[in-house]
Amino acid sequence: MDIEEVKRRAGPREFSPKDDMPEEYRKAATRMIQFHANSEIMGAYLERPFIREAPSLDRKLACSAKVQDEIGHGQLLYRAAESLGMKSRDQMLDELAEGKGKFLNCFHYPMSDWVETPMIAFFVDGAAMRRQATLKRTSWEPYAHAMDKVCFEEGFHVKHGEAILHELMTGSKAEQEATQEAFEEWWPRIIQFFGPTNDKSTHHGFASEVGLKQMGNDELRNAFLNAYIPKAEKYGLEIPDEPRIRKNDDGTYEVVEEDLDWDEFFTIAKNDYEGSIQQIDGRKAAQDAVEWVREVMDEHEQRAMGASKQQAAD
Amino acid sequence: MAAKESLPAPGELSDDQREAVEHLLYRLADDEFVAAERYTEWQVRSPTLESDLALANIAQDELGHARLWYDLLEDFEYTESELVWERDADEWRHSTLVEQPFETGDWADVILRTYLYDQAEYIRLEALEDSTYPRIRDRITKIIQEEDYHREHAENWMARLAEEKDGLERLQGALDDLFPYALTLFAPTDETVEDRIDDLGLRSKSLDVMREEWLDVVVPYLEDLGLDVGDAELPEQYDVHHSEFELPADVGRDRSHTDAWFDLQEEFTNTYRELDRHEANRIMKDPDEA
Repeated sequence: MDIEEVKRRAGPREFSPKDDMPEEYRKAATRMIQFHANSEIMGAYLERPFIREAPSLDRKLACSAKVQDEIGHGQLLYRAAESLGMKSRDQMLDELAEGKGKFLNCFHYPMSDWVETPMIAFFVDGAAMRRQATLKRTSWEPYAHAMDKVCFEEGFHVKHGEAILHELMTGSKAEQEATQEAFEEWWPRIIQFFGPTNDKSTHHGFASEVGLKQMGNDELRNAFLNAYIPKAEKYGLEIPDEPRIRKNDDGTYEVVEEDLDWDEFFTIAKNDYEGSIQQIDGRKAAQDAVEWVREVMDEHEQRAMGASKQQAAD
Repeated sequence: MAAKESLPAPGELSDDQREAVEHLLYRLADDEFVAAERYTEWQVRSPTLESDLALANIAQDELGHARLWYDLLEDFEYTESELVWERDADEWRHSTLVEQPFETGDWADVILRTYLYDQAEYIRLEALEDSTYPRIRDRITKIIQEEDYHREHAENWMARLAEEKDGLERLQGALDDLFPYALTLFAPTDETVEDRIDDLGLRSKSLDVMREEWLDVVVPYLEDLGLDVGDAELPEQYDVHHSEFELPADVGRDRSHTDAWFDLQEEFTNTYRELDRHEANRIMKDPDEA
């Protein structure tokens, strides 16, 4: 199939491994899904310490289940990415360990306190859910299919994050203040989650034309702000003065882009930020420590295969 | 043996009965909670995405069981805060096996630990199936089903690791470290109270009998894999005890613990203390309604 035909046919769940897709499409789709899968893994990496920090039994269970879900999403998404025939899962996991794999900006910042957990589990996951909901209509069918399960589970995560936020904002004055402080620190990062405006985004055009991307950065950010500014205010959080957010007459929001630190954003996008290096290397060290297990399993598999060949020869 | 009569409802127990039930429940609940707390360390740190998911499953099962057992202690007017978040570290009764820290990357440790623990867990759950305390009896079936999966998971990994030289060596290292601690699973909290637990029929097998059963299962299994269990000699019958095994200095059941436990307890109560909480929020259905 040539690119023109892809563009002509591009619709929800239109293409699958049965189709002969041009390399340009397969590359773009792999880049997008790999980014998504990496983000699931790095999000789980960021949140894992808070299983231990959880201040109740039920919450501990929920935190463990959430981290497990994110790893499960990573597993599903790597499979969807593999189905494009460009890279194997091992290759993508290696790239992530080596700092070549890209992932969401918010997961590059270290997180140290419990009051920060709803910033991820409520706001970032809420933002992610907006985007993921549109991806149920992406043109690569295995990706759309993975989104069915991912979106279903993300719904629980956002509720979990919202409940933690509610607990904190109805708790002691100190809890409320610490939560507001965390919110102010995370708010600009959360707004940057959607990336720069459409005309500055390098990959937007092609991905939209071939139906991989269903909605632009601006539209998604708008939808998120429309839903989450009232929610933040409902729980008693004050929206920081910067970045300036203007409400238009038609009910949409406009963020004054120059109020956001785009140098930091693009440093993060290259994995060059201080936090990026910390998160990537931390995860790599954890993976290196169990490399011996994967080697033992490889040996085992090879020997088992050798033995069955021997048997067949007998 | 004739079936013993069931004990009355939680509020109607005599002091002696209540003390026996409490000791039994603390053994169960604390083991499960602390084991799970350690297992969660493997989340996002396991060798493959699949093993990560499996370990997380096991941790959540154990945490769920802990919740079921603590819930029965709440029948005695304790709150979750008193039981978990505000209880002094030197009041806990879990075996020192489950509090041991993991060395980074020591996958052989977690696999062997789940094996040793879950075999013991299965034996003790079976001994509770006919408990004279109905609230315990009613919760066994669900728990025992989940334990089947845990044992299968551990045995699959053990078999594969043991067939390769590096894997076998690492399993042996873990076994040397963990075996003495595993024996504390069967140590008494208090001799008198443990005897009373048996006399009241709260469980159908004594700690000594369960220990012999456990040794009968795990020692031949480990030796078949090519592991050396040290002084293990199989008993010809259950009244031959393995007295030559030495328990470590801290057994846990009597509330003596290793240093690692105090660090762990400090860590998992950190947020609760930092936020100056006085209660633990429930977000799920009460186990009685679920």
